[in-house]
Amino acid sequence: MESIEVAEQLKAAERGAAAPYVDYPPTPWWYAPSVGAWVAAMIGTFTWWRENAGLFVGSLVALIAVEILFITWMRRRHGALPMPGKGTPPVEIAGVWRGYAAALPVIALLVAAAWLLGGVPAAALAGFVLVTAGLAVYERRYAVAAAKTRARLQ
Amino acid sequence: MIDDLDPVIHVPKRLAAMAVLANAPSVSFRFLKDHLRLTESDLSKQMSTLESAGYVSAAKDGHGRGSSTTYRITKAGQHAYERHCAALRALIGGS
Repeated sequence: MESIEVAEQLKAAERGAAAPYVDYPPTPWWYAPSVGAWVAAMIGTFTWWRENAGLFVGSLVALIAVEILFITWMRRRHGALPMPGKGTPPVEIAGVWRGYAAALPVIALLVAAAWLLGGVPAAALAGFVLVTAGLAVYERRYAVAAAKTRARLQ
Repeated sequence: MIDDLDPVIHVPKRLAAMAVLANAPSVSFRFLKDHLRLTESDLSKQMSTLESAGYVSAAKDGHGRGSSTTYRITKAGQHAYERHCAALRALIGGS
């Protein structure tokens, strides 16, 4: 077998492997604030935990249902939504995912600090602002990494 | 080394399809068609071959014009794909 043919096969496999990560429809503008609002609502739900068990459980179920519907919609819209733990992301994307994973505990700590200092309303507000801003930064970094990957694999 | 090359996956269209499937929990027919730049009939043919080999499973949502088909890689398919890629890398390394 010609080595050039093998190299082309490997390149085709690499392009295919990268496709779910770099071929995606534009992220809608409301994505980051919606996730921020979802996190704020999840934090706010804990207010009802102490006051009304029925409202707490109802809110929790509704928020989880919204999350499931959202992921289902995202998966259908994308067509091949990559998920952590499945496959091997391109090096450029893996770096952005590591940054995302590192930022999560920092945001959780900041929200917890807001909770301690200002109670549930402060935590919900901090959750909304930090998650919205964090996701907006993540989306920008991801788009740059995806463009670099596409350029490398051309 | 060359014996590890899988004749089903060795066809470039099917190798690329397997590479996509190995990196997402499920992949739509439309995504594969757009990425591989194949006609619907050609993609259907390639995916049928992969299904017959037990490398992918297909699921259909809905009926008629609004229906959509999604594919998932099976464990056997994942294993075959990894083995095939390892064989290709070994060939490059040894050439």
